[in-house]
Amino acid sequence: MKNFKLPRLTGGLLLAGVILPVSAVQAADAEAIIQTKCMACHTQEQAEPLEMSRMSHQRKTPEGWLMTIARMQVMHGLDVSDEERRTLVKYFADKQGLAPEETAGARYALERRLNTMESFESANFEQMCARCHSGARVELQRRPAEEWKHLVNFHLGQWPSLEYQAQARDRDWMGLAFKQMVPELASNFPLQSASWDNWQKVTKVPVSGSWSFSAQMPVKGDARGVMTITGGKGDQYQVSIDGEYADGSALKGSGTAIVYTGYEWRANLTVDGVKMRQVFALSADGAELTGRMFETIHDEAGMDFAAVRSGSSPTLLSVQPEFIRAGSTQVLTLVGTGLGKQISLGDGVSVVSEIYRDDNKVVVQATANNKAQLGPRNVDAGKATGATLNVYNNVDRINVVPSFAVARVGGNGGSTPKYNAYFQAEAWMNGADGQPDTADDMRIGYVPAKWHVEPFNEQAAVDRDVHFTGRMDEKTGVFTTAGAGPNPERRMSTNNAGNLKVIADVMDGDKALSAEGQMIVTVQRWNNPPLP
Amino acid sequence: MRKRTMLPRSMTMMLTTLTLGLTTLSSGLAVAAKGPALQSGNEYMVVANYPNQLHVLDLQTDTVYKSCDMPGRFGPGALQVAPDNKTAYILNNGYEDIYGVDMDTCEVIFHAEMAQSYKERTKTMYAFALSYDGKELYAVQNPTLMERDHYVVQPTRLAVYNTDAGLDAKPTRMLPSPRLVTAMQMGKDGGLYMAGADIYKMDVHSGEYEVAVPSRNWQRERYVQPDVLNVWAVQTPTQDFTILYTTARFQEGSEDLNTADWLYGYFNINLVTGATETKDFGPLTEIYFTGTRNPKDPNIMYGVLNRLAKYDIDKQTLLNAAELDHSYYCVTVNHSGSKVYLAGTHNHVAVFDADSLEHLNTIELPGGDMSTTTAQVFIR
Repeated sequence: MKNFKLPRLTGGLLLAGVILPVSAVQAADAEAIIQTKCMACHTQEQAEPLEMSRMSHQRKTPEGWLMTIARMQVMHGLDVSDEERRTLVKYFADKQGLAPEETAGARYALERRLNTMESFESANFEQMCARCHSGARVELQRRPAEEWKHLVNFHLGQWPSLEYQAQARDRDWMGLAFKQMVPELASNFPLQSASWDNWQKVTKVPVSGSWSFSAQMPVKGDARGVMTITGGKGDQYQVSIDGEYADGSALKGSGTAIVYTGYEWRANLTVDGVKMRQVFALSADGAELTGRMFETIHDEAGMDFAAVRSGSSPTLLSVQPEFIRAGSTQVLTLVGTGLGKQISLGDGVSVVSEIYRDDNKVVVQATANNKAQLGPRNVDAGKATGATLNVYNNVDRINVVPSFAVARVGGNGGSTPKYNAYFQAEAWMNGADGQPDTADDMRIGYVPAKWHVEPFNEQAAVDRDVHFTGRMDEKTGVFTTAGAGPNPERRMSTNNAGNLKVIADVMDGDKALSAEGQMIVTVQRWNNPPLP
Repeated sequence: MRKRTMLPRSMTMMLTTLTLGLTTLSSGLAVAAKGPALQSGNEYMVVANYPNQLHVLDLQTDTVYKSCDMPGRFGPGALQVAPDNKTAYILNNGYEDIYGVDMDTCEVIFHAEMAQSYKERTKTMYAFALSYDGKELYAVQNPTLMERDHYVVQPTRLAVYNTDAGLDAKPTRMLPSPRLVTAMQMGKDGGLYMAGADIYKMDVHSGEYEVAVPSRNWQRERYVQPDVLNVWAVQTPTQDFTILYTTARFQEGSEDLNTADWLYGYFNINLVTGATETKDFGPLTEIYFTGTRNPKDPNIMYGVLNRLAKYDIDKQTLLNAAELDHSYYCVTVNHSGSKVYLAGTHNHVAVFDADSLEHLNTIELPGGDMSTTTAQVFIR
């Protein structure tokens, strides 16, 4: 069972634009599939408009619907073609999706930010639901109480051992699930919502057009460029990106995309020879796309991405780099759209000369005087606003980002690729009080660092975790994990798991700074569905 | 998963076919399939493993005595030996079926499907036991009704079978059971001890049960609720039903876990006398999946997972620990108390000197991983 290729399904969802004929996304086709393929188990409750038992009483993301339909295939004998599955996912995501604000706090799961450390106010929710999978997977669903109840029955029926596990066997798991969790979930994540009612009334904006984008990623740092989107029939698009990294190297690629629920942008691209995906949300006014672009196979490698549509109201997406030292002169690139002639960098920071300008960016030589106010300031390019520039005089400390990371062994002939780790060194000022981690601290931005790992504790030293778990790239902060499987060279032939300190050494002029994070290298994520 | 087990399975079939072909020429097919009968008075151990076999080990020589092919598919391979010391009962087929096997002949003489209707999917989470006279088999069943478009989890139940009911055994009675029951053992007085949230004692006729040993609901001053998970109902030479717990004991006048003593302990029920015990035996420094006492010295406790550890219970001290080549789940001791046997994971049964913890031998089983099989020692 576990060998069923959910990764293939993920690709299937995102490949929709390549294969799917436009006509197939018609609701009528989906309903015909439902009435042909689903009736063996589901009951038609109403013909016009079509209402079916179970499936008509839930709302989910495209990924959520994909997982449900895939489960019907794997476990309940649903026989649909890949194309039919895509038609169903599109139909359900459009008809019974989530409104943008309903996904707001949980997009990290859609964006495959698998290193996110979740935290929830409800201890019950954390222990009863988020113990086995992400809490986001639950937060990205809407059901009435009856359907949440079905979900509890499904969980315990499908995985009877779950009530025997730690944080379950210490309580009346089943009683809690039915008596407390069902009402809590039905109240927090109800089927009916004003957000969804309103979103259904909103006129959906086509995504085609020219977009100015700004991105930031480990290894390469800042990036910017133009994303061109064409098409739109049946919510399917062609997309190409043409940009550059901060070091001047090219960022180029193209692919196809599909928009679900009027705002959920999913694209599959080949970027500089590497297969990548985009998971973006379109803003309600259709002017901005934000989210993450990441490698398809190694989704830990990716960039934060924001784009603004050319011709929409003037917007400044970013200033790259996002910091300047008081008393220095440097090149700044302003990225956005409708960037006006008048560049304002705030008091004490001025434009020496404008080096380059096009529709999407302005490159200037800027100078910050010694007395410029420290900290973030708003930057304007004519009417375009929205980005800040951080002025600093001194790096007081460095943070390793993320401060805690999970990497996973992989490859070595196994079915699961390595899950590597990417670190960045983030510079900070301590602020007027001179104390770290207080309210007046000021973030500067990501700076180059020299990286290495050390044993996290005595046990890690004894077990030679540094030797066995993988290798840290001194320059890039990328930790590539070791191969999967038992290692006869290790005590008890254990695998290449371990516990490491991640250390960044930064030079700020003559001053040496150092920061420490933690990384555990652990075993593969065997069960890796679209929503973690 | 399925694809992976296919290869070893077909390899075994090929090897079996080859062996059969050769033996047919000499001694005949029937003998090869059954293997030798067990010798009265000899000590044996039974374990199960992938692809789906049951192995009887001769503990005089610490070698594999015979192997029996099992029906269905392997998993979890939990075992109980009947009081006749001739029949082994195995939970297999994905926790859904219990089979009785005559170890002398390898013949399957009993089979009960846990599901009671076509709509049910029913799992037994290791929880089965035999009556003291071997005439009845008890299983706690976790049923789920699989309706057309939804599941409905059903209350757990104790199903009682006659062990002479053959290959399509149906329960003679079903009684409501507490949830979360794993290991079970029968007392000489006819009470069924069921390890769940607490350890219950059930009257298998009326279905009435009471808490025999409180676990989740224990009232021990300064102790936090213990954590217990035991899926290995090891039948010991002394007829002790032993289950480990972990807990923390606050310092006097404190409720601070940071300063508390973290402890390992055991619950014990003597199945002959009904005497119960709840006793700490040492500091909690590593995890053991199973623990058992030495039949010749009940003050000695062995625990195993990543090391084989030996404790003096009264002194609550670790006496010795042996490093292992890999994890083992299930520890058991022979009747004389001279040797400790480790099983579970891989296909190795490791043999240690009970006194010195010197590694004596490793018995390699044909086939693969033992998963969470229960190693049972018995004298035929």
